[in-house]
Amino acid sequence: MKSASSLIALVASLCAPLAFAEGFKPARTVDLVVHTGPGGGSDVLARAIAIMVEKEKLLPVRLQVINKPGGNGAVAAAHLAEKRGDQNTLGLFTGVWLQTPLVSAEAKVTLRDLTPIARLVLEPAVIAVKADSPYKTLAEFIGAARKNPGQLKQSGGSNTSRDNVVRQLLQKSTGTRWAFISFPGGGERIAALLGGHVDIMVIEPEEAGEHIRAGNMRVLAQVSERRLAKFPEIPTLKEAGFDVPVVPQVRGVVAPPGIPKENVEFWQDFFRRLTRTQSWRKYIEDNQFEDGYQNAADLAKFYEEFTDRMREILKDAGVKTVR
Amino acid sequence: MEDATRKSGDLWSGVALAALGLYIIIQAGQWEYLGPEGPGAGFFPLWYGVAILALSVLLVVSHLKRGSARGDATDWNKLGRALSTWLALAVSVALFKPLGFVISFALLTYCIVAVMYRRPLATAALTAVASAAGFYLVFDRALGVPLPVGVLGF
Amino acid sequence: MEILAGLFHGFAVALEPANLFWCFVGVLLGTVVGILPGLGPPATIAMLLPLTFNMNPAGAIIMLAGIYYGAKYGGSTTSILMNVPGESASVVTCLDGYQMAKKGRAGPALGIAAIASFVAGTVGVLGLMLVAPPIAKFALSFSSPEYFALMSLGLALVVLLAGRSIVKALLAALVGLWIASVGTDLFSSTSRFTFGRMELLSGIDFVVVAIGVFALAEVMVNMEAREETQLLPVPKGLKNLLPTMQDLKDCRFAFLNGSVIGFLVGALPGGGSTIASFLSYGLEKAVSPRREQFGTGVIEGVAAPEGANNSETGGALVPLLTLGIPGSGTTAILLAALVLWGFKPGPLFIPEHPALFWGLVASMYIGNVMLLILNLPLVPLFAQVLRMPVYVLYPLILGVSMVGVYSVSGSLFDLLLLLVFGLLGYLMRKLDYPSAPLILGLALGAGMERALRQSLMMSEGKLSILVARPISAVMLSFAVLVLLIPMFGKLNAWRLRALEQD
Repeated sequence: MKSASSLIALVASLCAPLAFAEGFKPARTVDLVVHTGPGGGSDVLARAIAIMVEKEKLLPVRLQVINKPGGNGAVAAAHLAEKRGDQNTLGLFTGVWLQTPLVSAEAKVTLRDLTPIARLVLEPAVIAVKADSPYKTLAEFIGAARKNPGQLKQSGGSNTSRDNVVRQLLQKSTGTRWAFISFPGGGERIAALLGGHVDIMVIEPEEAGEHIRAGNMRVLAQVSERRLAKFPEIPTLKEAGFDVPVVPQVRGVVAPPGIPKENVEFWQDFFRRLTRTQSWRKYIEDNQFEDGYQNAADLAKFYEEFTDRMREILKDAGVKTVR
Repeated sequence: MEDATRKSGDLWSGVALAALGLYIIIQAGQWEYLGPEGPGAGFFPLWYGVAILALSVLLVVSHLKRGSARGDATDWNKLGRALSTWLALAVSVALFKPLGFVISFALLTYCIVAVMYRRPLATAALTAVASAAGFYLVFDRALGVPLPVGVLGF
Repeated sequence: MEILAGLFHGFAVALEPANLFWCFVGVLLGTVVGILPGLGPPATIAMLLPLTFNMNPAGAIIMLAGIYYGAKYGGSTTSILMNVPGESASVVTCLDGYQMAKKGRAGPALGIAAIASFVAGTVGVLGLMLVAPPIAKFALSFSSPEYFALMSLGLALVVLLAGRSIVKALLAALVGLWIASVGTDLFSSTSRFTFGRMELLSGIDFVVVAIGVFALAEVMVNMEAREETQLLPVPKGLKNLLPTMQDLKDCRFAFLNGSVIGFLVGALPGGGSTIASFLSYGLEKAVSPRREQFGTGVIEGVAAPEGANNSETGGALVPLLTLGIPGSGTTAILLAALVLWGFKPGPLFIPEHPALFWGLVASMYIGNVMLLILNLPLVPLFAQVLRMPVYVLYPLILGVSMVGVYSVSGSLFDLLLLLVFGLLGYLMRKLDYPSAPLILGLALGAGMERALRQSLMMSEGKLSILVARPISAVMLSFAVLVLLIPMFGKLNAWRLRALEQD
């Protein structure tokens, strides 16, 4: 009798269209917390994920996006920390969640205080100049920077953004320096480049696409491990001769602290399945992201490596780190 | 130019602003004024801190020299009513977490109508309930704008 | 005449019944969203985005754009009736609009806001249609020194907003600059004036301060009086329900002013409707024969900023559609929407998708007309809101203020800030510190500091960059002039007084 029932159970579980980790099923609408307001980068991705989940029927319940803007990500992180033990809440983190606690003492919640679930994507970037710029390769730009230290200019975000990280790494490895001008929005950065007020910028491949097509921008190199599909002729930093680590811009998922192991495994598997779906692959391709899936354990390791490296880079850049 | 606006409060606000200016200058001193790459975080604050200090000292001095305009005795009753309203508002915000917007706002309205405007209690209660319900229906139901939710779920 | 052909084609698209319907839905939704303080077009558009996937792209962009410029019409409603700014661009409308309402002229104020919005909005679309490429190029030539000069000019207008005490106005503006610095410095990631609170890391929201200093303070001031009767005179007679011919005549320059300034400032990626409305208001005050009355309920003081924030939408679409550069929060989401549907705004957008571009332009003309027809009849209706007994109205204003602030970020902390700034606004009123300069300083402070530091970084520390470039030199000279003119007037008055006393 026992073996028969367990056989039936086994067959039943194999036939189930969705294989849930034993013991956990989302009981109510799942909250996905983002640190931007509606329309911001994370919000757009989160809503896209919610749509994919519904389309591919990956969950028996709805996924809803909860906006907790403010504090450069600290408010969202603190919100998750407060939801200790809640098994139906997740957070969509980006590099900002990792960096803000490094430089701001007020941001007390780090990824160590939360439960890592999965890393989802890596966002590559390209290094671009205005189309009529004299530099045809990154080496030429570096050469010019060497001849005129401090006079060339790059537009970018804050001094902890990836734009500046790339600059710091390149400056250190080539022994050159050029100025970094911060602008709060992507639009202003691009306008500064196209208006000829700065010489170079690091830009997302999607953003650069149209400007390149119209002949206003030229790409010198790509900041990624492998060449992107849409930029087959542009060398990566390594291929261009610059041996700098590719510090990625990441997005991934975390959960509140204090959740049971089977909950973590459920979500980890869920996101792995998500990244294998057709809609996800299409989304990645359209946005020129790189699939960067890592499970919870690897994400935890990645976090430590990333913050250690960021700490070093920020110290070189003269930025005070508080953690 | 300053005549009509001189008040006895000028002295205190001037002193308070001077203190603010001083605070800003001290804080700005802890940040970088001019770094290798350009002005630092302390640059702008230092300048407007100095300006605040200078102008508020000017205000205090000009007040001490000329005294206040006539007939501006503080009406403490008026002040009391205004500040009590503020206090009621503060209390209602404090109650958002446990009681939620709808109930707290109803209570606030009730207090304002009954106490501030001395309307009959029935009018106060009616206004309170109607307003709160109105907000709930229009914002939460019809428009989906989130209202602070309390323990009771609304 | 390529443009005529394109426009003809565009109207063919925009007049299709489905697209007309979506245009109407968009402007209606926009008006409602604009009326409600706090909830703004960016959030609304983001939330509607998934629903647009199954629509035809032309209809979808027509609707979303309708929300964008429709909201600018509605934003003036609560500003005028309750002194609660509907969104940051409507703050300037509070200055004279609410004063007009207090005098029983809410109808004309609301009406002129709608008319100015229509005129300037249409001019904005005209600009988009006719001069987009050269304007885009002009906008690109604006660099940090020019932005700094523009902001300085705006801040110099504080002198014009001074009222009676320049020292107090300057102090208020400087405090505004201070509040604008709260948060994480963009360049150095240093936390400034955050008092250890993580919520302050991203700064203090402009809308929170504006609603506190204007609306909350106003309610507190009104609570002082014991009168039970209505303090707001009800508009009597048809004459006071809508603007009169005289009103329209007074606003002739304001219409022009708002249209041009709004469009130009909107086209700058670093500009915005708040700056546009302040500049337009300041310019109007500078040239008006009754400039001392500004702030007490002058109709041009409503027409100019309302026009400016509407033509700004046309201007903001210039860099978006010709270069793919979003200038503001809403245009960034429109950009995301276009990308989602497979269109990539950029220099090749107009040549490759003429139907979409011209359809959008045509729909904006239609939309502005729809909005005028929608809003004008509502004016007398809205003006009746003030008939409410004050004991119902003021709690209502408090409630609307709180909901408005909460809807921006869903944070109770912001409500605490609202309380703090409400108290501050009240104290300012009692001590005769004008609040408009505080708001102006807050609006311009961050941008001004950034532009200055960027300029100095670009010039490797040489301040001369600010005057070496022609446009910024001109604007800075204007700023200095604006600051000096009243000084001349007062020096003269002193001199005369000294002479008399001899």
